[in-house]
Amino acid sequence: MKRIITLAVGLAALTAAGCGSSSSTTGTKSAITGKGCATSIAIEGPFTGPVAQLGLEQLHFAELAVANDNAANKTDVTLDQDDTQLTPSIAVSKTDAIVASSAVAAVGPAGSQEVEAVGPIFGKAGIAFISGSATLPALASSGKNPTFFRVVPDDDVQGPQDANYVINHLHPKAVLIIDDDEAYSQGLVKVMTPILQKAGIKVNHQTYNGTDTGATLANALSSLVTSQLNSSETVTMLPWQTAANAQQFGLDAQQQHKKTILFGTDGTDSPTQFKIPGTYVSNFGPDISTSTNPLDKSIVSGVAKYGPYGAFGVPTYEATDVVMKAISSVCKAGQTPSRSNVLAAIKKTDIPAADNPMGVAISFQPGGDLTGAPGYLFHINVNGTYVSIANH
Amino acid sequence: MQEFIQTVVNGLQTGCLYALLALGYTMVYGVLKLLNFAHGDVYMVGAYIGYYVIHWFGGPTALTIPVPLLILIMFALAAGGCGLLGMAMERFAYRPLRDAPRIAPLITALGISFVLENSVLLLFGGFTKSYSTPSFISATNGIQVGGVSIDSVEILIIVVSVVMMLGLRQLVNRTTLGKSMRAVAADREAAEMLGINVNRTIALTFFIGSAMAGVAGVMSGLAFNQISNTIGFLAGLKAFTAAVVGGIGSIPGAMIGGIFIGLSESFSASYISSQYTDLIVFGILIATMLIRPQGIFGRPPLQKV
Repeated sequence: MKRIITLAVGLAALTAAGCGSSSSTTGTKSAITGKGCATSIAIEGPFTGPVAQLGLEQLHFAELAVANDNAANKTDVTLDQDDTQLTPSIAVSKTDAIVASSAVAAVGPAGSQEVEAVGPIFGKAGIAFISGSATLPALASSGKNPTFFRVVPDDDVQGPQDANYVINHLHPKAVLIIDDDEAYSQGLVKVMTPILQKAGIKVNHQTYNGTDTGATLANALSSLVTSQLNSSETVTMLPWQTAANAQQFGLDAQQQHKKTILFGTDGTDSPTQFKIPGTYVSNFGPDISTSTNPLDKSIVSGVAKYGPYGAFGVPTYEATDVVMKAISSVCKAGQTPSRSNVLAAIKKTDIPAADNPMGVAISFQPGGDLTGAPGYLFHINVNGTYVSIANH
Repeated sequence: MQEFIQTVVNGLQTGCLYALLALGYTMVYGVLKLLNFAHGDVYMVGAYIGYYVIHWFGGPTALTIPVPLLILIMFALAAGGCGLLGMAMERFAYRPLRDAPRIAPLITALGISFVLENSVLLLFGGFTKSYSTPSFISATNGIQVGGVSIDSVEILIIVVSVVMMLGLRQLVNRTTLGKSMRAVAADREAAEMLGINVNRTIALTFFIGSAMAGVAGVMSGLAFNQISNTIGFLAGLKAFTAAVVGGIGSIPGAMIGGIFIGLSESFSASYISSQYTDLIVFGILIATMLIRPQGIFGRPPLQKV
């Protein structure tokens, strides 16, 4: 009996610990509701795990977009949350759950490798899904993801932008470029390498296992600095999805007195985690934190209610906004939102630049790519602050 | 040459951490014949305790106490907290299963591992947390060896690990508790009949092993900066490999096995590719099981005739 009581107390304590927390998101519903046209949508993102920082940013911006659009359009859309941990196998099971649910559309998932895994499932179910961060070009061109859309430029924009900036402004003789063994990272390397080589720059391409953790990860990063970073490689490109790993690589380089300019891509864009002075970071979304535009200002102040501001989340605001506006247009046409009519409405999206935080008009090409998407670039100054580079 | 020395330093650093963790595996296996797969998560809890100690004392950029005192407090609280956690695991999860088939505590250990991982996730969130060590310990402090700079954190890890390993060896070989531990490991029932308090000995074994894992967790945070609720799993597997390679149940084996695995990882990452490190490390595990299942320092089991 005593043993049973002990066990029960232990279980109760664990349950209480879980219930007392606010960080659990998997499979939960937001308390965001409006009035009128009622339906639900889902968001897939890495809300836990090594890139939770970025996933939670996306979630908070999506929550804000749902709240704003519900209020503006008199809709009653709820947001189901599905934590994929940036892992394709988990994304597949979450997508199966979304298909079985009443969700009419989805936002996310975050990673290109996840989109590759879930695109055919969403396609078969006729559910539109809009990613705010998946940038692999093939996602829109392969024909395997018929209901895929993205509000960010693909690697064919970001990759050449970054490579050309390195060539024209940093003038290295050799570049070390390291991928993290994921589709996103390898896709960018594939785009950037020939551009750098064509400009006469020697490219040393290495790979590490981005899913390693702790001591194993640290050993891998430190060993890459030790064995691969030569004095001629004055630029090191890190097209990674984990900003903390890029920070660790930078610290290892400092500790081993290796001088190189780091150049991260969108996955490393995290002012709280990656802040090695002198580094460049490209992104697929704008930093609106200092914008004077009233819409941008309202988004920056509004997202504070859900979590800290981060530039990575801005495109997800717009991805959610596109879905919400599509649902609203369906309702305004006197129809009940369904997967097919919301998908059709998303295809017809035409949001003026002034009405969204991306700074460009939002409309989609037949494969789901954004029409005329620009890239964005930042420099980290001595204080670790991200400064936007205009006209790059 | 510089690259070689730096690779050795990298390998020793991680190897020492694996060795500290492997000692916990080997001690528990010694007294209970149990593979405590939750041990890596105890290490993770230690890393979290260290992180919150830094923040209790003002955070990495505004510490209110001197750094050496901070590190001492981090070690003490992580060792104490993890030691108690280890004792609690033994008391509430493993002791009731002591006479159950061996698969039962093994499965329980896996369950505890997931409980710890997810409890930390629920309590502290999914964000990767950073010790921001360079904010309070300069990465350029340290010594130069063969043109390679070994920073103060690397020196700290190697020195503290060696001291703890030697201290444990002394404890096991020269104290009454050590004698009790060896007796329980040799024959639990006989030890009990001879008046040794078996429950107390096993509980203290868990305390010591878990305390060492806690200190290893803090040192991991100081060295590698980033911690999350998932860092224990892979580290635990590597330490388990180290314990098996060294000879599970053998304390010198765990030490040598840990350093061997750390160096293997480091050399494969530097001279082959970091993509192959896990393949090589777990390949070593398989090769050990095939060629010398008792490990480097282990003894083959005696057959009763």
